[in-house]
Amino acid sequence: MIVPTHQGPLARTLVDELARQSVSHVVGIPDNASAALFRLIAEHVSIELLSVTREGEAFAVASGLWLGGAKPLVLIQNTGLLESGDSLRGTAVRMGVPLVCLVTYRGYAKLPSEGSDEVMIRADIDSVAVVTEPTLDAWRIPYELYRSDADISRVQRAFDQANELSRPVALLLTQALC
Amino acid sequence: MLTKQELLDPLARVRTDEVVITSMSIVRVWGRLSDSDLDFASADSAMGHTADLALGVAMAQPSRRVICLNGDGSMLMSLGTLATIVESGVDNLILFVLVNRTYEITGNQPVPGAMAVDFAAMARAAGFANVYHFDEAGAYASALEGILRSKIKGGPTFVSVSVAPESEGPISRSASEDTRYLQTSLFDWSRRFKKALEN
Repeated sequence: MIVPTHQGPLARTLVDELARQSVSHVVGIPDNASAALFRLIAEHVSIELLSVTREGEAFAVASGLWLGGAKPLVLIQNTGLLESGDSLRGTAVRMGVPLVCLVTYRGYAKLPSEGSDEVMIRADIDSVAVVTEPTLDAWRIPYELYRSDADISRVQRAFDQANELSRPVALLLTQALC
Repeated sequence: MLTKQELLDPLARVRTDEVVITSMSIVRVWGRLSDSDLDFASADSAMGHTADLALGVAMAQPSRRVICLNGDGSMLMSLGTLATIVESGVDNLILFVLVNRTYEITGNQPVPGAMAVDFAAMARAAGFANVYHFDEAGAYASALEGILRSKIKGGPTFVSVSVAPESEGPISRSASEDTRYLQTSLFDWSRRFKKALEN
């Protein structure tokens, strides 16, 4: 679990940027790290929020939204990213959807520097963090880290890259939003 | 129980500018009846993600009716989507589930709960505003135009139809397919379909 702190990036900064990017819909599932952002999106006048039942749904719904002319964004946790594998591959990637996906990076703070198999079972390490970036690499999804408000320009860059590549691009949120 | 032709022939006759999104064993059969750029085959895609894809199109195109022809095996893979569709508030999505109780294109192995699952009851329980079930061709054909044309009451529509399993084989996207929307890649057809929706 990512514990919200007052040192984390501001949800307000992010939602303002999503509105500036003309995002029409946010599709996803909240976690503790994204809860503040979900609250702001739910109240937003120009961005529609749709909660789904599994993260794989989010990529299919977002792909359909894009087909229909909308500009969706997916907001999920990295555990849900793993759940989404075939949906992400078979819809957004296969269709060439220029989709930005915000992924909260559970376990990032305790990510080990070494890479033995033991890290997958150690109690002090969240194994989902260990496999998050290697999975994105394997799925050929470009990504960057979003560590603080100072990284806000990476949102624009993600949209630009997604459009240029006609492919989903991920931003990994390393801290809880506040 | 209907044949696929008994299901799709009446639909092809009354369909005008509705979007039609197909899945699995229905893809080729519909493609032989329709040559519209508003058709989309959820093929070479991700099984179980046709209804949610259709939901996205319906949300983005609220003034257009979206017909999703989903299979029962595909629907079982993402039953949560029934709740998501209702939660979305769309009233322009008509979700058909073709209940043949098998995974037809892999050789008609039975789906889980093949003889027990009641999809119409599931849709009602999920909160669909309008739910229909048909297992007889005449009743279906008589009701279809009304379902498509009537003002939809307060939410999405669900139609389950008992259809006989046939012997549709695996689907490819290649020039050798006899339906136009399978003769190009999912990437390319997505752009053609998107453009048709913009017009």
